[in-house]
Order: sequence, then C-alpha cells, then structure tokens
Amino acid sequence: MTTFLAALLLILFLSVGFAGAAVADRAIPAFLAGQTAPSWRLSLADAVRLLQTQRIRTEAPDALLWWLAPALYLALAIVGLAVIPFGQDLVAIPSEVGIVVWGSCEALTIVAVFMFGWSANAPLALIGAYRYVAIGLPAMLLSMFVLIGAALPAESLGFIEIVEAQRTVWNVVRQPAGLILFLMLGLAISLRGPFDYASPEDLAGGVTADVSGPGLLAWKIARLTMLVSVSAVTATAFLGGYLGPILPGFVWLLLKTAVVLLVLIWAGSVFARMPPARMMSVIWTMLLPLSFLMLLVVGVELLLWG
Amino acid sequence: MGLTDLLFFALSAVAIVSGWRVFATDSMVRASFLLLLSFVAVGLIIVMLAAPYIGVATVFMMAVEMMVMALFMVMFMMNPAGLNPMMMVHQHRFSIAAGVLAFAGLTAAILFTSFPENSVDPSTPVVHDLGIELLGPSMLIFETAGVTLLATMIGSVILSSRSGRFGMADQGSKPPGLEPDGEPAGRQPEQGGGHHHH
Repeated sequence: MTTFLAALLLILFLSVGFAGAAVADRAIPAFLAGQTAPSWRLSLADAVRLLQTQRIRTEAPDALLWWLAPALYLALAIVGLAVIPFGQDLVAIPSEVGIVVWGSCEALTIVAVFMFGWSANAPLALIGAYRYVAIGLPAMLLSMFVLIGAALPAESLGFIEIVEAQRTVWNVVRQPAGLILFLMLGLAISLRGPFDYASPEDLAGGVTADVSGPGLLAWKIARLTMLVSVSAVTATAFLGGYLGPILPGFVWLLLKTAVVLLVLIWAGSVFARMPPARMMSVIWTMLLPLSFLMLLVVGVELLLWG
Repeated sequence: MGLTDLLFFALSAVAIVSGWRVFATDSMVRASFLLLLSFVAVGLIIVMLAAPYIGVATVFMMAVEMMVMALFMVMFMMNPAGLNPMMMVHQHRFSIAAGVLAFAGLTAAILFTSFPENSVDPSTPVVHDLGIELLGPSMLIFETAGVTLLATMIGSVILSSRSGRFGMADQGSKPPGLEPDGEPAGRQPEQGGGHHHH
C-alpha cells in the first residue's frame, strides 16, 4: 500500500518538478537579463515549435541508439528519483543501497549522452560526446566520494537512513564543500552551463547539433527531468530530505528540491565554461583531492564526536 | 512458474543474446554497449539472488568500465572515432575450440553438481555483513588485488603507448614537417611549465 502511494507521489513529484523546471529554465535567464516578469508560456511555445519542426537526418546514423538514448536518459532520471524517500516509509523503490543505485544512474547517464552523440555519425555531435565522457567521468567520481561522506554518519548506503541521520545536523553543515561539489555534478549530469561539455554553443549544440523537431524535444524533456532528479538527490543527501516541521515530508522535499533546482539553473546561466583541458586538470588536481579531504573531515569528526 | 522465474529467464535471455551480439557486431563502440547490456542483465540477476550491493555495484562499475573501454579502444586502435566498421573476432579456430570446451565443461559442472538450497533469510543484513567482510578479514586480499590491477593497467597503457604515431614517446616524438626537413607541424609544446618569458 505504501509502495503504491509512494509511486503515485513519485508521478506527482515528477510532474510538478518537471513543470517547474521547464518554466524556471526559461524564466531565470530572462530574469537575470533584466526582464522583471518573463512569460511562463515561453517553454510551452518552445515545445510546440519543436513538435512542428521538420526532422533532419545525418548520413548513416545508428538509428536504434539515436532513438534509445533520450529514452535511456529519461528512464535513468526516473529510476534515480524512485529511490528517494518522500517520508520515513514512503519510497517507490525501497533499496538499502540507494546511493549505489543513484551512482549507477549517473554512470549510465554518461553512457546515454555518449550514445546520443556517437550514433548521430556527425563531427560536432561526436566531439561533444567524447568531451562529455572526459569531463563527466571524473565529475561522477567526485560525487561518489561526496556521497560516501553523506553515508558515513548514517552508517548505511540507503537514502532513508541518510535522511534519518540528519535529524541532529544536516550534511551540508558537515561538508559544505561537498554540497558545492555535488552541485557541480548536478550541472554536469543535467548538461547545464559551466559543465555542459556535451551540447555547448562552441560546438553549435554538440550532441544536439544534428537533432531537430520531436527528437530534440524528447532530449530536452529528459534533460530537465534529470535536473529535477539530481536536485531531489541533493536535497536528500545534504539538506535533510523530507525532514521539517508542520508540513508533510513530501512538501518539504519538494520545497528543498525547488531551491536546489533554482540554484542550479542560476549557476548554469551565471558561470562561464572553462576550456575542456583546463577543466579536466581542475577536476583531477583540485576538486578530487578536495572531495577526499571532505571525506576525511567527516570521518575524523565521527571518530572524535560520533 | 512464478514472476521471479519469468524475470530470471528474461534477464538471462538478455544477457546471453547481447553477449553473443558482442561478437557479431562490426563496431567497437556497439560491442562495448552490448557487453554493458549483458552485464546489466547479470547485475540484476545478482540483485535477485539477494545480493543487492554486489548486483547494483556490478551495474555501476560496468557502466563506467565499458565507457572507458570504448574510449581506450578507439584511442589505441587508430580507428577514427570508432566509426569505421571492423571485425570484432580473430583467431577463429582457437576461439571456437576454446568456446566449445568451456561450454562443455560448464554444462557438465552444472549437470553433475547438486546445488545446495539454502535461501537467504530476508532479515539478514547482507550489505552490512559484506562490508564487515570486505573491510575486515578480507581487506588485505582485496586491497592487494586492487593495487595490483591498477598497477597492471597503468603499466599496460604506458607500454602500449610508447611507440606513438611519430616515433618513440620517450625520445621526444615530433610530427613530420609540412615540407621536407621543415619545422614539425602542429602546435609546439610550451617550455617551462607554461610560463612565457618575454
């Protein structure tokens, strides 16, 4: 019964989150550009325009993989969200290894993005795909170390235990830099702003350079859904998830997710993208050691006062 | 036949068919993805066998591993971006013999073994117990294996990348000039750690 209720809540969470993400994705850049009341209809108009656009074809694409990639991306976003608890016993897929499931979703997302760019059989899409793998894999490593830091106080890999362990203090207090590192992964996995090496403007759209019409719409839907999922995971691992007074846990998680989502969209439109080679050395020589350090700090803290 | 059996047979079929297609496809990247699909199916079967951590970790590791494998194959095989069709099998006679032998041996092992039937009690903390085992009594074994594998990987990459496209890597390989005896083509590496002296 609770699983059924959790599945319903999952659908509700996805719908509300996706609608909010679609509006915010257009409204926040417009707002930052000085428009005080940007229209909420922009994203809807975008979708309609894409549905009516003609489809283009590249020479000899791998049609099967090209069609499967957006579906896989969307499925991974949904599976990733399904292990997130909406309440103490309210989770669609209860898993005692929740963060490993989420890690698999991250890793397979990199595969899905590569698949999408590679199967187009076109130069810019291919460059985007290879670049993304080079940046995405170390970014995923970062997030896993940071997540282990979140799992340490809970002494469990399950998201419910991780949330329950935050009743005393949220993980963001334990490892503030960990939250920032995880937000970077959020940008990378939802192909956004400074970490979007798959479909950036300098590659004329990269993996999406040779996709148009409904195919592009499907890709954008999957990308926004992944943004919702990664925001929910961030809220759960660092901001206490469903914990909060008075309001039901589901609403608290939705509110926290909304905050993370807005921060991600803001960061995506404010920060610039580094050249890939430089970003690579920043990740391997600065950010990864930082994530080790955060893990060490949490471990020492728990040994001394845990 | 219950739902569990159906699921098991479906996943096994996916694992076997995609494993076979690995050798029937003509592209390194497609072969990697098919192998990944096969491993994902096996990982889910392991989850069904009440070993959630090992199963999900298999999916996780294989996703990363196959992606890296595809990348390295494309880098080392000089097949532009992995787009050219190529034969994925070699040493036909030897591999056929090895395949038949392995199949016969494993089938015999399955048929002549009486498997014990002690299903795991659902309340057993399997993940916790596995963690204690991995980081307790068996820690030295796993750490040794891990470091050995890493050293092997780095060593094989260094050995196989020594003879680069423009000569030995440790003798300062340079691309040929655009004209006979001209300056080496392409961007020259910066001297002294990227600092310019004017």
